[in-house]
Amino acid sequence: MHTQFFGNFLLNKGVITPEQLIEALKIQSSTHKKFGTLAIHSGYMSASEVADVYITQTHYDKRFGELAMELGYLTPEQVDKLLTIQLPNYMLLGQILVDQKILTHIELENLITEYKSEYEIYELDMMEEQKNLVDKLLSSLYLPEELPNTQNIISYLTLLFNNLVRFIGEDFTPLNIMTLPEVPTSFCVSQMVDGSFAFMSALDMDPETAIAFASRYVDEEFNEFDEYVSASMEDFLNLHNGLFSVNMSNDYTLELHLQPPAAHENTVLATESPCYLLPVIYSFGTVNFIFSVTS
Amino acid sequence: MENVKILICDDSVLARKQLKDIIKKCGYDNFIEASNGQEAFDRYKEEQPDLAFLDIVMPVKDGVEAIRDIRGFDPKAYIVVVSSVGTQTQLKNAILEGARDFVQKPFSSSAIAEILKGRFEGR
Repeated sequence: MHTQFFGNFLLNKGVITPEQLIEALKIQSSTHKKFGTLAIHSGYMSASEVADVYITQTHYDKRFGELAMELGYLTPEQVDKLLTIQLPNYMLLGQILVDQKILTHIELENLITEYKSEYEIYELDMMEEQKNLVDKLLSSLYLPEELPNTQNIISYLTLLFNNLVRFIGEDFTPLNIMTLPEVPTSFCVSQMVDGSFAFMSALDMDPETAIAFASRYVDEEFNEFDEYVSASMEDFLNLHNGLFSVNMSNDYTLELHLQPPAAHENTVLATESPCYLLPVIYSFGTVNFIFSVTS
Repeated sequence: MENVKILICDDSVLARKQLKDIIKKCGYDNFIEASNGQEAFDRYKEEQPDLAFLDIVMPVKDGVEAIRDIRGFDPKAYIVVVSSVGTQTQLKNAILEGARDFVQKPFSSSAIAEILKGRFEGR
């Protein structure tokens, strides 16, 4: 989970350029093994059991290991074992940068020490995904000061990052959030959410990025920007907002109501409130996430 | 199975395709499609399908309203609600309006097969 934060840390430090980071993430994405794959390789789970857990993850905001245990596919001991063989991703990102001769081993070691002390990371285990830690990273790195309903938005962004990891892949880096009166978009899907915490949410990307995004999300190869690609973007946004509304209902008895998602081309997004633009860099392109609190 | 007509109503073309793909594997391939609740009601009146899958959150007319209209027209309509995560309240309303069953996205082949079995077995 924390590769993206380490990547952002390196960008902010001026140690690497966005192009170098994208190249490193590309290499990392081809070497990354998912938890489910590790479980299959270890002989603990069948492919269909793993698929079952991935489907169940779309209904519950829970980690793979936790759900696999609840479903009786893994014992706590097996999860512990898998956690120890999971690749520590930011170490892997660092290693790739060393291999690319962008950093030396000594520079990497110093940067990791600095990163860890700055953000109080004591755990090297990247599967931990501790909510508090992510919250802390979010507050210290990305949030504009004037952001309304900060706690809800932190919950929302934490879930967004978790959903991107689960459904698209963890080879991404979020950049800093920009506050804008309006956001011009290219190929965009948006969804309004009503209730006591009402907001507008949207995903915007260029067609090539959308094709790659949809291919990963649906696990099917798309070759052109068509209605299925657009529907995949809508589906991801709808699923994400749906999970958020369940979390809000469970945790804060806050009932939200989802409007149908809609697709737009070359439009400008605006509400009566400021819009927040969060660019997320993937190896296949940049996914812009746009958010505006309307109540 | 050729005479069995199945209505699939969802505003997402992706969801319609995924559902059709699963149902085809179960041996049914006579589909009527709609992309909102009003269209679903109109197509239902024209075709009177044997089974209808209706999404809940849709533009123009949502699934709950469409169920009310369809059941008003045909009290014996066999309607299965397609729910997404986060639509629990609407799902409850859909069941109260007379939906016979529900299935959650993303679709599980076995859940769809069970619904088809429950509807058409012994016809």
